[in-house]
Amino acid sequence: MILKICHLYPNLMNTYGDKGNIICMVNRCKWRNINVTVTNITTGQSPSTFDFDFFFFGGGQDVAQSIVSKDLQKKAQILKKAVDEEAVLLSICGGYQLLQKYFLTKEGKKIKGIGLFDAYTQGSNDRMIQNLLINLNPDLHTQIKSIYPTTNYQLQTTNLIGFENHSGKTYLGKNLEPIGNVISGSGNNGEDKTEGAIYKNAFGCYLHGSLLPKNPHFADLLISKALERRYGKIKLEPLDDSIEWNAHQSAVKKTLRM
Amino acid sequence: MDLKLFVAILVGKIAYFLIKISGKSGGTAAPGLYALKIDPQLITKLTRKIKYGSVLISGTNGKTTTARLVSEILSSKFPILHNRQGSNLLRGIASTLVCNSTFLGTMKGNLGIWEIDEAVFKQACETIKPKIVVLLNLFRDQLDRYGEIDTIKKNWHESLLKLDKSTLLIANFDDPGIVFTSRNFKGKLIGFAVESTKSHLPPVDAVSDINHCPNCQGKLKYKKVLTSHLGNFYCQTCLFKRPEPKISAHDIELKPNFATSLKIKNGNKNFSLSYNFPGLYNVYNVLASIGVTTSFKVNTNNLIKTIENFSGAFGRYQKIRVNDKKITIFLIKNPAGANEVLRTIPLGKALSLLVILNDNFADGRDVSWIWDTNWEILNHKFKNLFVSGTRAWDMALRLKYADIKLSKNNVYEDISYSVQTVIENMNNKDTLIVLPTYTALLEMQKLLAKKGQIKWHEQ
Repeated sequence: MILKICHLYPNLMNTYGDKGNIICMVNRCKWRNINVTVTNITTGQSPSTFDFDFFFFGGGQDVAQSIVSKDLQKKAQILKKAVDEEAVLLSICGGYQLLQKYFLTKEGKKIKGIGLFDAYTQGSNDRMIQNLLINLNPDLHTQIKSIYPTTNYQLQTTNLIGFENHSGKTYLGKNLEPIGNVISGSGNNGEDKTEGAIYKNAFGCYLHGSLLPKNPHFADLLISKALERRYGKIKLEPLDDSIEWNAHQSAVKKTLRM
Repeated sequence: MDLKLFVAILVGKIAYFLIKISGKSGGTAAPGLYALKIDPQLITKLTRKIKYGSVLISGTNGKTTTARLVSEILSSKFPILHNRQGSNLLRGIASTLVCNSTFLGTMKGNLGIWEIDEAVFKQACETIKPKIVVLLNLFRDQLDRYGEIDTIKKNWHESLLKLDKSTLLIANFDDPGIVFTSRNFKGKLIGFAVESTKSHLPPVDAVSDINHCPNCQGKLKYKKVLTSHLGNFYCQTCLFKRPEPKISAHDIELKPNFATSLKIKNGNKNFSLSYNFPGLYNVYNVLASIGVTTSFKVNTNNLIKTIENFSGAFGRYQKIRVNDKKITIFLIKNPAGANEVLRTIPLGKALSLLVILNDNFADGRDVSWIWDTNWEILNHKFKNLFVSGTRAWDMALRLKYADIKLSKNNVYEDISYSVQTVIENMNNKDTLIVLPTYTALLEMQKLLAKKGQIKWHEQ
């Protein structure tokens, strides 16, 4: 069994430990004897197709984001096609913003996105910097319940915990589902209590931290969705996630105490 | 008489006195903070009276060690004013000035050595009007506090352009960001760089902050990468490349006992140097300190002797003994610095490692940086591993994903319990290496101070 990962713009979009998400995906597959390949795709490369099961697109600083915005336009068609063919995608912060329609900076500059998500982001003077705790939307919650293999550790929650650091406020279009609702923190915009977005198997959110290591249930959801495309429904082998859940719980405790 | 200044100094001194008699540790910035509230011009007024002017030292990593080296080398020639680490904002400088001036504002030192937080470099240049500026490096560090690196670079560049023609800038020529920041500088520019090393450190698979030429956005190439984005760089598209350094290090040897030997070329002078602290990162600090001190015409033999006797700055490389047990401490605080420490520690013969990760304000609330740090290279290097701190479980998780075996029983959030247990259970032949974040270091120092006879480097 093999899972093909594509890391988009790893040299430019790599703030706040987002690389940890790749490390997590690779290890959780490896521990289950699933082969993994990681291909880095960056500016200047122009593949004619994207034959990958999972895409990761992390956050970056402003200058990097405008360089990537230009290059991404050339890859927009094949990336959208891959997502329409059920490839799984996780984007965080800057990556999430570039997959929306546009980002309007505080200074009024418009950075073009590719409109995978029917959403836009507007720069603001509020820097939203804190732990971010959300509960997942009911549909994802059910999916995780059915795929997350529990062994010596019972799944107590499907909440996600991470750390957000952004000043852009994201507003979702009418038919776009968020990943979940904010329990503590700002989320998409600090106003409507939503966090992130889902379109097909593509996810966008503001959860750094890194996100996946501390949220193994969500990592496994992405792995099982990514394998499903090639191999149909798969039952994932259980792993000992006690350190993962300890880290999850201790971060949640800190978040709620503050 | 300047009444405002007089009152400011008076209030600052009273604040200092009250803090001292209350026996509270810390609070080094408070006298400066109050004094500045009364006279916001205090720093400009008092630094103007320092006979030989001021040296500003800034950069993400190495400020404290470089400033300490410079002070020690120059202390035989000048009575020196130097802000203590942990207070490298303007208020920290104000504190040092207030505490070292008479009530009428006469300074007790005649040369100022100031380590400056990279984010306040601009204000520091404007208020202090330095004679010498040292720029060490610029890496990502607590983006939640400092904002983006590009903003800092822009501020640095604008501040450098406003400096007087007589200013001397000593810059790390291996850092393309710093070279570009120094463009069009009107004063005298001296560069330092690492030319060659004999030691083979494991390569760092680190996220780099600079991939593109800062001049033309073309692809940036390296003849040799030393660490992160530092090295002998050149642009493939335009003429931007590492300029020829005046001061350079050759044939660096990093030894298992954490000592270092190397050859130095300083203009037309060549000499060998051996000293007792480790790491490629410290070579840059040594080069920078040579740059500053030779501009004061320090005799080369004195310079060599002082560096050879230098043992480190507080917590950066700190050897202590607790009941005959050997402990070596390396402060970690950001990916670039931590990666260098992680490459360096396996050179030694230590068998146990304790990592203490805190997420208090001074550490940065966001601990995601541990995922940008290359823990993988510690695999199989240590027999016993322990983690502690407010985010101990995050650290345990990071080590698990670096394939490093760690028992769940070796994870304690409580630092005091952790440090005591680890020390009690280690044997006298082993060395324990401790990697604390900043507030964890302070907590450790306090804790071990209670155990008596431990000599720390001066803070």
